Order: sequence, then structure tokens, then C-alpha cells
Amino acid sequence: MSLTNPNIPEDVRAVAANGTQLRYKLMELTAQYPDAIALGRGDPDLATPAHIIQATETAIRQQRTGLSPVAGLPELRQAVAQKLRSDNGLPADAENVIITTGGQEALFLIMQVLLDPGDEVLVPDPRYTSYDEAIDSAGGKIVLVPTDHADAFNLRPEAVEAAITPRTKAILLITPSNPTSGIVTEERLREIAAIAVRHNLVVISDEIYEKFVYSPWKHFSIGSLPDMAERTITLNGFSKSYAMTGFRGGYVSAPRNFIEAMAKVKAVTTGPAATISQWAAHAAVTGPQDAIADFHRIYSERRQLMMDGLHKMHLDFSEPRGAFFLWTNSTPTGIHATELSYLLLKEGRVLIFPGTGFGENWGGYLRISILQSTDLLQEALTRMEPIIARYRATA
Amino acid sequence: MNGPQQLALPLASRVALLADPPASTTESQAHYTDRPGILPLRKQAVDWLGKHYGLELSADEVTITCGATEARFVSLKQLVGPGKRVFAFSGSSEHIQPAATLLGQTLTHEIDDPSTIGVVYLTSADTPEQVQQVLNQVESSDCWVLWDTSVGEPTGTHPAHHPSLNNRVISIGSFSNVLPGWRVGWIAGSKAANKLRAYKQSMTICSTSISQWAALGLAES
Repeated sequence: MSLTNPNIPEDVRAVAANGTQLRYKLMELTAQYPDAIALGRGDPDLATPAHIIQATETAIRQQRTGLSPVAGLPELRQAVAQKLRSDNGLPADAENVIITTGGQEALFLIMQVLLDPGDEVLVPDPRYTSYDEAIDSAGGKIVLVPTDHADAFNLRPEAVEAAITPRTKAILLITPSNPTSGIVTEERLREIAAIAVRHNLVVISDEIYEKFVYSPWKHFSIGSLPDMAERTITLNGFSKSYAMTGFRGGYVSAPRNFIEAMAKVKAVTTGPAATISQWAAHAAVTGPQDAIADFHRIYSERRQLMMDGLHKMHLDFSEPRGAFFLWTNSTPTGIHATELSYLLLKEGRVLIFPGTGFGENWGGYLRISILQSTDLLQEALTRMEPIIARYRATA
Repeated sequence: MNGPQQLALPLASRVALLADPPASTTESQAHYTDRPGILPLRKQAVDWLGKHYGLELSADEVTITCGATEARFVSLKQLVGPGKRVFAFSGSSEHIQPAATLLGQTLTHEIDDPSTIGVVYLTSADTPEQVQQVLNQVESSDCWVLWDTSVGEPTGTHPAHHPSLNNRVISIGSFSNVLPGWRVGWIAGSKAANKLRAYKQSMTICSTSISQWAALGLAES
């Protein structure tokens, strides 16, 4: 679908081809509408668990805020390694872990340390376009691996293998996926692992949404498979699991030489993660985990509400097996997703990111976040319905 | 991963050029902020530049960073074109050398040909005479000037007052002298402000929220 509506402002058009800039532009526009309901950004609206806030306050009062080692506080690295062993089956110790300023920095550092100019990284499409920037920044080349709606955007091993060239360095997995909320199932991960071994490729596994996978589906870490620890870089963080995005806490688990190299690059690019955030993260990972179960229940309810609402609008979406999003086919409206997104914001005061915010091929999709209360989600659906119906009728 | 030393991944060649990171120097608002950083803190940076250097900037030209380290890296990455070099005085080059090395950029302590210089790195620790001499050398070139206020003390001299360099001067600052572990710095000014902000966002989205509020508390006090 092409972007044809002349009423789309020039500043939106100007960034329409750049997914990341497009998302930020729409957020800027949303700020003009105080009554807008934001179903765009993946920033959990729930409160950070009280024990994490309390631990943060205690660390401040005890003045445990001095500069940390570049790779992170030893206590936190140890705690994360323990979590990776028990939750994910990864054979990690503290030296296999580096703490980063959020998942985004983790991604940036991984690419800086892994890629030489011209190296190729296989990335499932659609994708969070910050991957593009991280790969490009290191001189690498992104090679898209198609996924499709009929397969709930699960990654197909044969599509991965078909994309491999002599310059392929790594396969990037995002499970659960942003933006599709699909997962890569264990069966497929086993096949992809075999491909990685056969072609001597590194696997980067982004598991930032691991705690939010919906029954009957389960999360599985590819690094736990035999022969994979030595070639897997696992990326994760505290932001999504514990609703603490502003603390900017992420981490990477990988073979020791890679972590040491990441620390060298981190020392030069951003320095250590904020010490206070690391103590907050320490409380998160070592403290009670009840909040995650509560969050999971809340997101499940919202997910169901949004699915029911979209069904009423006769909009088809991919089964959201994890994460916070409904990847919704908007082609029945007959207009490009960027236009639809703009019109939903302007006429309905609902911010929803167009599929083109996640790759140039996705002008027929919307990514709808469920990170608002059920009341606001219901109100958003009420606002969306007449707009969707109007465009559907004229399509 | 636990145990066998032979487990290793291939590393990009750029990594081999870097020194080991420093050892630990000590014993040891919950959600994303706006991408540029919280507005009152950006205003504090503007006020500080006005008070110490007589500059008039707007908060829109300021981006909060993860310390001066990120500010320097972002600037070099975005402003030094292919084949261009980075100038710094030998006394202050230690602050910029690691980032230049990672980026494959050549550092020089002399300006023999201004057209080959992409960025001039100057600090508050450099003498006003030294600064003026360098600015005179590059005033007719198209290079950028990084003015790092996190090194040394404010002297009143600021390269942005040079009439032909005004919109090519980027100021860098930091709260690390007082709040070292909180990782708050800033980058301000120039016609490249939006470009630098976008790249910072691609690296870390935004700086730590609670650190920004702590820095604001410090600045306001």
C-alpha cells in the first residue's frame, strides 16, 4: 500500500521511511492532544514493585551510588547469572554477564563488538527497527528473514537457512517478538540451533519479553541447547519484567571473551550503568517475584479485551503469544497504515504505531499496545470503531 | 558458558584496538523520560552555559546523556567524516582518545592542514590563548568544535563566541564530579543538535530517569 493522503503532514511524510523516526514523530504529535490514549510505546504503565523502590531509596540513603565497575556491580552480575541458570537453563556465571544501560545499549554494544564492516545479520521481519540502527552503526548489513501471519510470525528455519551467505555472521532472534507478539517455538529453535552450528554462526537471542508468554505457549532459551552456549549471546533486561523502564537496566550473557570485549567498548561509549539503577535491578532479580505473576494476569485480561474489541471491528490480528502487542492487519480499511495511524490520532485521539514503524514492508499492519488500564483500552476501542468502520465502508 | 576457557566468540577487529577497561573505582522516577531528557534539567544546562559563558541557547538544543563519555562518543561518531582527523591538545587528549580509537579515527595534536580536521576537541583546562590560536586556525574550515566543560573549570572563554564558528560549536558537560555513579551529562548547541540527539537515542533511548532527577536536585541546590 502506498502513502497517498495529501492531508498527512509533511513532517510525518518526511520520516515515513524510517521506522524509528516515524514512531518518535507520532509520539511528538500525541503530546499536542492531552486527551489522547497512547497505545504506542512499549513502556509498561504499571507501577514498579514497592520493594524495588524501597531498595533504591535505601541504596541512596546508604550512599551506595559511587561509580560501578564498567561491567556492572559484582553482586548484580552474580544475581543475574543465578537467574539465567535457574530460569533459562544457561550455564552462566558472573563473568558471563555485563550490565548495560537498558536493552537498547545492550544491542548497540553487541553489534559493535561482533561485527566487522560488511558482516551480515539475519533479522526476522517485521522487526524493532532499532536493530537496523545498531547493525548499521557497526558497519554491518541487515538481511531480513520473512515471517508471516499464517504462521503467527514464528520464524521458519528454512527461511533462515535460505538467507545465509558467506558474509553471514549472526542470526538475531526476538522471542517473544516486538512488534508481532509471536514467539519462536522450542521446536523451531532446535532447528535454528542446528543451522547455526552447521554454518558456524553466532545467535543473538533477545528475550526481553520472556516473562510475558501466554498459555499454552512457553518461553525457551536457545542458549540452553547443547553446543549453543559457546555461540549464543542472550540479551535481556529488567525494564519490561518489572515495569522499570526509566531505570535503564539491561544485561547480556555471552562467553567470557565477548563480555570482556563489551566492557572495553562500554567504557569508551557510555561508561558503567548508573549505580543506583543497578541496585534497583538487584532488588528486582533477587527479591519476591510475585509482581511478575500479577503483571502477567493484568496483561492477559487486557489482551483478551483488545482481542474481543478487534474481533468486533472485524480486524484480523496475529495470535499474541507473548509481549504487549496486537499486530493487526489493517488492509480492510483500504488505506496505508501510516495514514490510518495519523487519522486515528487526529480524529480519535488514539496513538497506535503503524506497521511501517517496524519495517518498510508493513504498510498493511498496526501495532496496538495493551499498556493502558482496561478502562482506557475500552475507551480507545470505542474511539477507534467508527473510524475503522468509515474507512472500511469506503475501501 | 561457565568454566571452559576455550569458549569464545569472534570479535570485531575494532575491539582489539582498545585498552582494558578501568577497574572499579569504588568498593563496591521509574519510566522512560522524554528522549532528550527531562526539561527542567535541560533548562539548568542552558542556565549554566548562560551564567558561565554568556551563551544564549534553548532547552531544545540540549540532550541529556549518560555522562560526558556518551556525549563525546556520540559527537565523534556523528561529526567526524571519512578521512578526517580529530585534534586535541596532548594534555587533554586522554578524554577523547579511546572513543576516537574505537571509531578508527586519527588523533592529532597539530593542525597542519585545517581541511583535514573533522573535530577540534577543546576543554576548559586548555588556556584561553591555546584555544584562541586553534580557533583562528580552523575558522575558515568546515570542522566542528567540541567544548568539553567537564574537564577543568569554567574560564569565561567559549568557542561559540567566535563569529564564524558559532553554529558549529557543541558544548559538553557532566554532573560526574559530584554525582559520579549516576551517569548524567549533557550535550548542547550547534546546528547538529538534532542529529546528535537522534544518535544518542539509538544507543540508550534516554538517560536514567532517577539520575536525571538527582542531577536536577543538585543543580537547583
